[in-house]
Amino acid sequence: MEFDKDSLLKLGKLSKIKIDDDKLSSLSADLGSILKFIDRLQSIETDNVDPTSNSLDQSLVMRDDIALDENSATEILENAPDKELDFFSVPKVIE
Amino acid sequence: MKAGLNLIEASVLLENNETSSVELTKIYLDNINKGKELNCYNTVSFEEALKEAESSDKRRREKKSKSRFDGIPIGIKDLFCTKNIKTTASSKILSNFVPTYESTASQNCLNAGLISLGKLNCDEFAMGSTNKTSYFGSVINPWKSKNSDAHLVPGGSSGGSAAAVAADLCIASLGTDTGGSIRQPASFTGTVGLKPTYGRVSRWGIVAFASSLDQAGPITKTVEDAAALFEIISGYDSKDSTSSIKQKENFYDNLNSSVKGMKIGVPKEFKSDDLPTSTQKAWDDCKKLLQENGAELIDISLPHTMDALPTYYIIAPAEASSNLARYDGVKYGIRENGKNLIEMYEETRSIGFGDEVKRRILIGTYVLSSGYYDAYYIKAQKVRSLIKSDFNEAFKRVDAILTPSTPSTAFEIENEPKDPVQTYLNDIFTVPVNLAGIPAISVPFANDENNLPIGLQLITNSFEEQKLLNIAKNVQDTINYTPNLDKWWIK
Repeated sequence: MEFDKDSLLKLGKLSKIKIDDDKLSSLSADLGSILKFIDRLQSIETDNVDPTSNSLDQSLVMRDDIALDENSATEILENAPDKELDFFSVPKVIE
Repeated sequence: MKAGLNLIEASVLLENNETSSVELTKIYLDNINKGKELNCYNTVSFEEALKEAESSDKRRREKKSKSRFDGIPIGIKDLFCTKNIKTTASSKILSNFVPTYESTASQNCLNAGLISLGKLNCDEFAMGSTNKTSYFGSVINPWKSKNSDAHLVPGGSSGGSAAAVAADLCIASLGTDTGGSIRQPASFTGTVGLKPTYGRVSRWGIVAFASSLDQAGPITKTVEDAAALFEIISGYDSKDSTSSIKQKENFYDNLNSSVKGMKIGVPKEFKSDDLPTSTQKAWDDCKKLLQENGAELIDISLPHTMDALPTYYIIAPAEASSNLARYDGVKYGIRENGKNLIEMYEETRSIGFGDEVKRRILIGTYVLSSGYYDAYYIKAQKVRSLIKSDFNEAFKRVDAILTPSTPSTAFEIENEPKDPVQTYLNDIFTVPVNLAGIPAISVPFANDENNLPIGLQLITNSFEEQKLLNIAKNVQDTINYTPNLDKWWIK
């Protein structure tokens, strides 16, 4: 089973991952195999079953909203690939 | 000093002034140097570790030790953010990332005075069962088959964490387990690996893979060490909204290895003709052992066991595709230039992620996309409920469940199947536990005919880690498994 190549390229666009032509075929076979595997679930009867998104039987705990003086902009920007003044810098968005 | 100390032994030596933290740290840094070929560490903190060891010795002299384990050197999986120390998740995309903060679990270790020797290699973003997906190359299992000189996988994703403990490149380590990533490598390396209940250990500051499944835990030489390190890292953390508010427990002090009157479940769905004879024998021997020690064996059924793996391979990639959207070449990590913003994203992510990570992001995006969301993602969440309910039913009848940890022992690095689904099958016994959010431990039980370790898995209900550790200690103390590991990498 192969994953349709046009759909694969569309997925690449959605995921912001460029898929090179030489990888298209092997990736399509891999995804096809994974899809066939996960398709097994379709035969399981789940009509009256609620979905589980999290296994912890506890409501989410809110913490107090207290301002802390940590993670300064200067420190955080140390990891930025490109920066200007106190900002992250990216390629031009509007022509 | 004898080689291969465990956490408890080291703490006694330190307490009796028979060694110092500096001496211990130097020994382990030297071991790391000699064991470079095993590729366990992505980053070694030579200077920082020695500096911390000196401070620890000073504290001990002044009777101000932070805990009884103050000064003991450990290793940390390269998935835990460590302040001012490179944290890469074994990915090219984060290969230059230096966090400005410390994860809660590793901070808890520092608060107890433990010394970090450095960051342990793992599968890229913890996605893998062989450690082969690491951008920094495979970790090599310190174990070799007695019939071959070929290098073996240490398992994954916490392959570096497990191999380093087995090879004495640290005394204990931290790993993470999303679908078996602590238990499977522990099983492949003759070490003890504990995956706690979801919520027991804070996920704050751990590079996220699948947030509803990820859980940090210890990899150690003994069950006692696992109890001690688990006790150190666990506890409520206000920074993690899924952190459990349950009281921290004294797992180490409360260890009690009696299994008298306990009911141990043996699930019929885990039986298979494909199971190697030696693994089947280990499993049978352990059942007998527990029975002889006073436990009662009960046949149980977990009907949705075989549905767990496909469920996992929908939920985990779905969550991963969302979590990994943050790696875009803007805020941290590497950037690859493009003509415009979108092209920059695509180039950066294409070059920064390895093949397995890309596969999972693509599958995750697919199952979450409009038109497939209900058919895959919601369907998988419903099957997850069925899997959880299987365990709930079982725990009405039994205290714990006993299974093999893995369907095979460690295999050759070069022998990984080409089809990713075949590799996914490594986690067939461990994945159901993550979906249910319950705790489990892998304990080394015996070696197979090639002298490779076989691990067995014990599972209990949520928050019953004390019972889990107690049963594991009973097994450990009865068999007295001693790894006869030949340190071939020391020339």
